[in-house]
Amino acid sequence: MKWITNKTVQSLLHHSTFVLFAIVLTVFGLLSQSFFSFQNLINVLTQASSLGIIATGMTFVLLTAGIDLSVGSIMFLAGVISSKMVVAGFPLWMAFSVVLAVGILFGLMNGFLVVRAKIVPFIVTLATFYMGRGLGLFLSETRAINLPDSFLKIGSTQFFGIPFPIIAFVCVVVIGHLLLTKTVFGKQVYAVGHSTLKSKKAGIKVNGILLKAYLICGLCASIGGLVAISQLGAVSPTFGLQSEFMAIAAAVLGGTSLFGGKGTVFPGTLVGVLLVQCIQNGLVMVNADPYLYPLITGGVIFLVVLIDSLRHLQQQKLKRWGIHQK
Amino acid sequence: MKASFFKTSGAASIIYLCLGYYIVMAFVAPGFFTVNNTWNLLYNLLPLLVIAIGQTFVMITAGIDLSITSIIAVTSITGGYLMSSDTAIFDSPESLIFGVLGMLLVGISIGTLNGIAVARFGMPAFMVTLTTMMLFSGLAIWLTQSQNIYNLPEAFVNMPYSSFLGIPTPVYLGVIVLGLSYFLLNKTLLGEWIYAIGLNVETSRISGVKVARIIIFVYAFSGFCAAIGAIFYTARLETGSPVMGQNILLDVIGAVVIGGTSLFGGKGKIIWTFFGAFFMVLLDNSLNLMSLSFFLIMIVKGSVILIAALLNANREKSLRTT
Amino acid sequence: MLLEFKDIHKSFGEVAVLKGIRLALETGSVLGLVGENGAGKSTLMNILGGIVPLSSGKMELSGKVYSPDSPNDAQTNGIAFIHQELNLFPNLSIAENLFIVNFPKKKVMGCHFLDRKTAREKTEKILSQVGLDVSPNMPVANLTAAQRQMVEIAKALSTNPKIVIFDEPTTSLTRHEAQKLFNLIRSLKNEGLAIVFISHNLDDVMQLTDHIAVLRDGELIAHDETTSYTIPTLVNLMIGRDMGDFIPRRDTVTSGETCLEVSGLKAGYIGPLDFSIEKGEVLGFYGLVGAGRSEMIRMVYGLDPMEMGTLRWNGRKMHNLNPVKWIKQGVAFLTENRQDEGLMIDQTIAKNVQLAVLPRYTKSLNRVDYKEVGKRSRAQADAVNTKYQNFTTQVVSTLSGGNQQKVVLAKWLLTKPELLILDEPTKGIDIGAKHEIYTLINALVKSGSSTVLISSEIEELLGLCDRIIVMSEGRISREFKKEEFERSAILEAALHHTEEEVL
Repeated sequence: MKWITNKTVQSLLHHSTFVLFAIVLTVFGLLSQSFFSFQNLINVLTQASSLGIIATGMTFVLLTAGIDLSVGSIMFLAGVISSKMVVAGFPLWMAFSVVLAVGILFGLMNGFLVVRAKIVPFIVTLATFYMGRGLGLFLSETRAINLPDSFLKIGSTQFFGIPFPIIAFVCVVVIGHLLLTKTVFGKQVYAVGHSTLKSKKAGIKVNGILLKAYLICGLCASIGGLVAISQLGAVSPTFGLQSEFMAIAAAVLGGTSLFGGKGTVFPGTLVGVLLVQCIQNGLVMVNADPYLYPLITGGVIFLVVLIDSLRHLQQQKLKRWGIHQK
Repeated sequence: MKASFFKTSGAASIIYLCLGYYIVMAFVAPGFFTVNNTWNLLYNLLPLLVIAIGQTFVMITAGIDLSITSIIAVTSITGGYLMSSDTAIFDSPESLIFGVLGMLLVGISIGTLNGIAVARFGMPAFMVTLTTMMLFSGLAIWLTQSQNIYNLPEAFVNMPYSSFLGIPTPVYLGVIVLGLSYFLLNKTLLGEWIYAIGLNVETSRISGVKVARIIIFVYAFSGFCAAIGAIFYTARLETGSPVMGQNILLDVIGAVVIGGTSLFGGKGKIIWTFFGAFFMVLLDNSLNLMSLSFFLIMIVKGSVILIAALLNANREKSLRTT
Repeated sequence: MLLEFKDIHKSFGEVAVLKGIRLALETGSVLGLVGENGAGKSTLMNILGGIVPLSSGKMELSGKVYSPDSPNDAQTNGIAFIHQELNLFPNLSIAENLFIVNFPKKKVMGCHFLDRKTAREKTEKILSQVGLDVSPNMPVANLTAAQRQMVEIAKALSTNPKIVIFDEPTTSLTRHEAQKLFNLIRSLKNEGLAIVFISHNLDDVMQLTDHIAVLRDGELIAHDETTSYTIPTLVNLMIGRDMGDFIPRRDTVTSGETCLEVSGLKAGYIGPLDFSIEKGEVLGFYGLVGAGRSEMIRMVYGLDPMEMGTLRWNGRKMHNLNPVKWIKQGVAFLTENRQDEGLMIDQTIAKNVQLAVLPRYTKSLNRVDYKEVGKRSRAQADAVNTKYQNFTTQVVSTLSGGNQQKVVLAKWLLTKPELLILDEPTKGIDIGAKHEIYTLINALVKSGSSTVLISSEIEELLGLCDRIIVMSEGRISREFKKEEFERSAILEAALHHTEEEVL
């Protein structure tokens, strides 16, 4: 009997994010009637789309045991460049292509410095964080830019009643998921994340994998930036600040390890992002003090990481005693 | 020969870089080599330096403390709350003492909390301090409803500009923290153990190092240093602000890694961090004087971080071998 | 001849590691390659495996010149190298591990996707070759050490090799699992493959191989049929001089006083265990891999938690065990895993030797008395005969395995232990260093301290111990006093409970 309960507890702890997700949904569902409405579901997904896209890219980098602190700057740069171009009269498609190119360029730069100059990802992306934001501030002359209506239209365009940001979000998650689970590249990402040395020995082109991971992350950051400003309608000089931390937190909430080789885009990162967004949305619905949002979000993330660590400690103990959890 | 040259000089390179840059700027930047500007440099250096020293301790144990900005914010409003004549909790002479003590206490407490989470619960330092950063900066904003606290006591506000025996008080404070941390790291058992943990935590544990206690100490110390930084900032801005220090996190980490402290632990020196922080401040100051705007400063900072990384410890183990 | 080494030379910088090796390999035979660490075995095999290029000389494969420029090139030429450290990704499944580079693909809407069905079928076929009956979708993390080894071998066999090199394949296997591996190797031999078998375990080499080549200091000392060697002659050839009595003799002097008493120790499958150690005694622990010896001693030392049990040290009950307390009481623990738990590999020799003893050399204000501890640590490192260029600046990673182990030993001896616990102290170190460590243990015991010696080498235990406890499946299966020592009886006791086999 003791073991049965223990196993149940174990599996509950194992899926602590899901359990917390369920608790959050229940609590807000009880507190607010409209929380479970279709419209609110659409709202949550729309609001989550930008973070979700960025976190999907971040998952690739985290899986290789890397980190990308520059995504917030890439977002900012994406916002500034596209709005500047549109305001100057360039067509939307051209602005978008330039922005995506900038995201890819930053990703490539990060990847190149990691694999060729062999500098630690944390430092590489810390440096490109500064450079990206500096460049963005230069282009925007440190002023907020208001976007023309054509931009906002995109954010509110609907296909079959589903807003454009959600479609972009779903596309990115699906592509990310397929890349990780259905392609050789995806499997090699996991291998490289476990050990670059072993991967090299196994004949994997490690540098290529790392480069692609950072490229994907940079690209996702620029898409995420576009999606975000299409909803906001303006780019302020603080736009995208600390997004890197939210993206990392969401991915980690979804079970991605900071040490590489472990994690998924679907369901992992998606659930992490939705959990964060549901908390925010729920707090709005129950009219909580807006200043409480970061407090509660931080608290929930702390809790998940704590539970995960305690479970890990417990598992190690059991393992040493020769009791394997199958 | 070439490799060993870069290896040994890598750490020291920041010192030459700093001095070289200083000399060049003395000729190039208008108003750089003046008494006024030197004081300016010093005033900007001190808080950053003290906070970076705390970060150095944490990084030597292979940890990281992202929560320093939130510690600064919380301690700043604590100080404001305890000292402001608006709240009038204490009378004027006591308020200064209780205010400063309260700030230090809050800083140490949050640091200790970080340390306990890392050492006792085995949580990754990055996630612990990331979440405490969110939590406590959120807390600071919530508690004050995003309002600044004004009307701090004259004595507190004037502290950065007061002097003793002709030397400004902050200099004493900086020298004391610098000396204390140098002593701790290089002369004591504590220092030996801090490096040992960074080099190999399992070996340390088995060899009788009190791992948990040391880890808690370094985070508490980082909290303490952040609190001292917050005292500086609060006094200079003459307000307790819940968003204080929001943008200095990456400057602090940048200063430490430019100095050559390894993110993988076991490697780092107070003197390196001193020059790392000095260089950060030099850049800000000199580029400002040359009326380059602050976005260019950011781009230059980014490049300097990369150059410094190319020269030192943070590339050796970049491709992990586990 | 399938493969011939013709006058192979190899130098790293100015150091010559191979000096004119001439050696031939036949199809359908097993060649044992033995020699001390640094004798050149690994280098020779790395040349064969395309990992390092040779400096001069040539290799001929089936009569044609063979010069691989990469491990992949070697593989396409039919040479499979199974390294001691398995190159598997525990976070991926068996099939994904086997095909991480050349995964079968299918086209869906113009995109290349993984063809899991084909991969699964191929994997099943390969796994059945090595007799491993597990699902191809099983994550490697869930496999036992022996199963992982089989996956690695399966991976090597999937390239259709002509020559298979095994580098120390049995170190993490139980005896039973090792026998299964040997059966597999024999069947590969019968299929006409040439096998190179590198091992420190001379028993295994004698049992398995057809020929043995002995390397010493980069030269081929002997190469003959296995039947023409005995273990003592092999040892003499390897070390190049007669060591006399390889394990120095020592008379048992029992004091009758108990220093450590363990009773009712239990956790998971381990225990309950009861035993005690007398002052001035060497107590050996023998058992197969997985018998629970290391786990037991780690609990005693407070590194892992125990479920229940009491420990008495010199008659006093000990609570809340941890290394800090034990070191204060004069108990030292040299762990099995030297790199991860014994050393700070990037730190200097001096700091490594000093680590455990630092608290005893502190002055006021927590200051370390560097002068004194520096002097003492250097003296201790010299006393255990550590070979170094510079004590205070040289980093441990530059030392050989044997010297690294001496650094760890010096660290613990510096604490003046009353009880020294040694977990596999001679694993992976060369014979010369082994001999020195035996001498040190004897000297320590002579001075009145006690030693717990955990070892998988029966000879070592027989030669050094006053008493041997044999463990099996977490329990004590039998205790042997010195006069009862007998190889076969000890082995039998270790097999006492039938091993549960997963293979």
